[in-house]
Amino acid sequence: MSEKIGGEEVPDSTRELDVDGEIDLMIEDLDLWYGDKQALYGVSLPIAKNSVTALIGPSGCGKSTLLRMMNRMNDLIPICHYDGKISMGEVEITAKDADLVEIRKNIGMVFQRPNPFPKSIYDNVGYGVRLHTKPSREELDAIVEKSLKRAAIWDEVSDRMHDLGTSLSGGQQQRLCIARTIAVEPDIILMDEPCSALDPIATAAIEELILELKKDFTVVIVTHSMSQAARVSDYTGFMYLGRLVEFGETDKIFSDPDLELTKRYITGRFG
Amino acid sequence: MKDIDKLQKRNRTYRDLTERLGSTGLAVSGLIGLLFLGVLVWQIAEPTFISGEEGEIPAASESIPVTDYILKWDFANVDSETGELTTEPIILRLTWEDGGGEQSHDLQVNIIEEKGVTKDVNITSDGLDSEIVEIGRKTKFYLYSNLEVIVEVEQISGPVPSADSNGYPVVDSFVVSGDIHILSDDDGELVFQPLELVGYAVLFLLIIVMTWPKVGALNALSSLQPYRRFIRPVFYTISGMTLAISQGMFVAAALGAVCWALSGVMLNRILEGMERLQNIGRELSETSRLKHSISNRDGLLMWSRMLFVTSTIFIPLLIDIPFLTERYQDIFVPYASGIRAAFFGTIWVMLIAMIVSIPISVGAAIYLEEYAKPNQMTKLIQALVTNLAGVPSIVFGMFGLAIFVKQGGIGWGLGPSVLAAGLTMGVMAMPIIVLAGQEALRSVPRSLRESAYGVGCTRWQVTKDHVLPSAMPGIMTGSILAMSRIMGEAAPLVVVGATAMILFDPEPLAALSGGNAEFTVIPIQIYFWTQEADPAWHSMAAAASIALICLLVAMNSIAIVLRQHFRRRLNS
Repeated sequence: MSEKIGGEEVPDSTRELDVDGEIDLMIEDLDLWYGDKQALYGVSLPIAKNSVTALIGPSGCGKSTLLRMMNRMNDLIPICHYDGKISMGEVEITAKDADLVEIRKNIGMVFQRPNPFPKSIYDNVGYGVRLHTKPSREELDAIVEKSLKRAAIWDEVSDRMHDLGTSLSGGQQQRLCIARTIAVEPDIILMDEPCSALDPIATAAIEELILELKKDFTVVIVTHSMSQAARVSDYTGFMYLGRLVEFGETDKIFSDPDLELTKRYITGRFG
Repeated sequence: MKDIDKLQKRNRTYRDLTERLGSTGLAVSGLIGLLFLGVLVWQIAEPTFISGEEGEIPAASESIPVTDYILKWDFANVDSETGELTTEPIILRLTWEDGGGEQSHDLQVNIIEEKGVTKDVNITSDGLDSEIVEIGRKTKFYLYSNLEVIVEVEQISGPVPSADSNGYPVVDSFVVSGDIHILSDDDGELVFQPLELVGYAVLFLLIIVMTWPKVGALNALSSLQPYRRFIRPVFYTISGMTLAISQGMFVAAALGAVCWALSGVMLNRILEGMERLQNIGRELSETSRLKHSISNRDGLLMWSRMLFVTSTIFIPLLIDIPFLTERYQDIFVPYASGIRAAFFGTIWVMLIAMIVSIPISVGAAIYLEEYAKPNQMTKLIQALVTNLAGVPSIVFGMFGLAIFVKQGGIGWGLGPSVLAAGLTMGVMAMPIIVLAGQEALRSVPRSLRESAYGVGCTRWQVTKDHVLPSAMPGIMTGSILAMSRIMGEAAPLVVVGATAMILFDPEPLAALSGGNAEFTVIPIQIYFWTQEADPAWHSMAAAASIALICLLVAMNSIAIVLRQHFRRRLNS
């Protein structure tokens, strides 16, 4: 089954897609509605372990919705309902009785606007850990330090651990949010346009960090910046009007996409 | 020059003129308004609180259970040239009963033309210290006594004072002075020991330094830096000493001790912050950095400020303001009356209302905002709550009468008691607090909730760890404002059954234990006093109003301090 979108035959987005290596998260035939309005049409997508997967596409194409579906963040929106299956190994994320706390612990999220808690830097990172475990003071200190180091912000905040997280600059706040997310050691980190509110220098710092994080985590990133997707990701999915139009290795998508639609979007000739 | 420039130039002149006129006008009218307010306050405050008030001359004999009197005549009865009396001599007969039996002494008062000449008379167990006094026209003189007896004052001869156009005698009054013993009790003993006062002052200075760090002050403090590790032990020791050498006044001693201890912690904190700054190679003059490194950590500064503000406001309770905390109402003599019963009644009613309404209302707000599904039922409840907040207070009074006061049916049978009044007021405050709480919860940004859910919080964890703390300033301000509203409310309590006059401290739980549960509150007291025919009672009502306003200001300042603190913590 295929549809005609943007004047071009687009392959059915529920088609089987494959990636090299182990699959961490599998999305199968996901439909999603906000009230009566359908936002996702039968999306299927594999997320490869220890890789960076970028989702690109014009505004309103459903990429953020898809991302927020991966840790059930959409459940916070009362009018949102869905059909389909997302699974992470044995765990079925979309199950009615799924343990949301466990899911969100294993699939962390970094948001578009940096949103640290209005607590101290230390508590920002330690809060999630204390939520799930009962660490001793020394253990927690170690975890906080390690997380801040991994998020490449330790040097900047080590002498002001008790200042408010909200007193940092935008780029630092975003890295603090990343530290907060990796402190609970998730398997997957979801990033929803993490650099859209940041200047180029802070953006560079975050991108470097993402490449570093890839060693230990699986990263899914939604971005509006083509060049960012090209720089940091291993796989790229192009979404359009709620459908996953094209998916593949980043090099392939950016150098030789299958579809004219993708090519037009990537080269900025989108009409 | 272009046309537009010319036009603009003319326009600018006009604009400057109106600007100047307008701002000057505003400033002048503002000043006049302030002046007017000042005069108004002074008019009310001066006679009642500061100098006593002209009022009715008492009946020939009046027994007043207080031993200080002020007397004042507004005409001279001594001829200024010949020095002879122009009228019958004014003679006061003072009688009292002490250990040596009944005593009676006459005192002649001569009034001269010149104002401001005065002479006090002391009443002792041996009699009067002078038999004749000469005082100026329209000038107060005092009768003092340290005797624990009732001194009766009777004018046995002398001219009857003239009356004003209403037929009331206007001058020549026997007035009980509103004597305020600042920082001392009735016997003239200091309530505060010097050590406690010093602790209080030190805390004040440190709060100032911490709030507005200035290089000069910091340089002065930096000389203490080598001794930093001794500072806390030393301050704690002084704090202990303050407690140890206190003489009976426990509240004052405890306050002093807490001040010393807090000062120690704060001083240490300031020095620590300075040290940290120097370690990372910063200058002391970067005060904003210092401010950052010393404050905002555990609310130390906020608690110190709170302690300081509240204790400053409530120190009058430790000090002896007879009107507020000592005197009950006197049946016959306005100026011997006080509002002790009403004052404590108000405090109790408010406390009960607070205990009842705040937890329930905050819970309801959280439920409606965070948990309730957005269905028809929720909408209905929401509409009911919103309308309830606008219901006239007298209706709540009727509700309280039916539910809490009356026996039988749905009535709890608490009778016209403090408890019933507190519950009624609590019910009245609930919708206001619910709405304020909902508003505050709603204004918590969604991103905060999302980030909390994102690290794996449950709904309750999100609410208690993130949403509630962020909404706290709003909830607290709403609660305190609701409390100050019910504090000034008289109508419901008229229905519930507040009494015109009680001569004992109300007991909050008397309705349950079967004691005498009668009570009154300040607004009710004001209401009943204004009903009296004698204008002297009206100035007592004015004094009670001022006391009520002071209480309200105190409550609202606490609300402001709390709100500022939490807001700063969230926004910085």
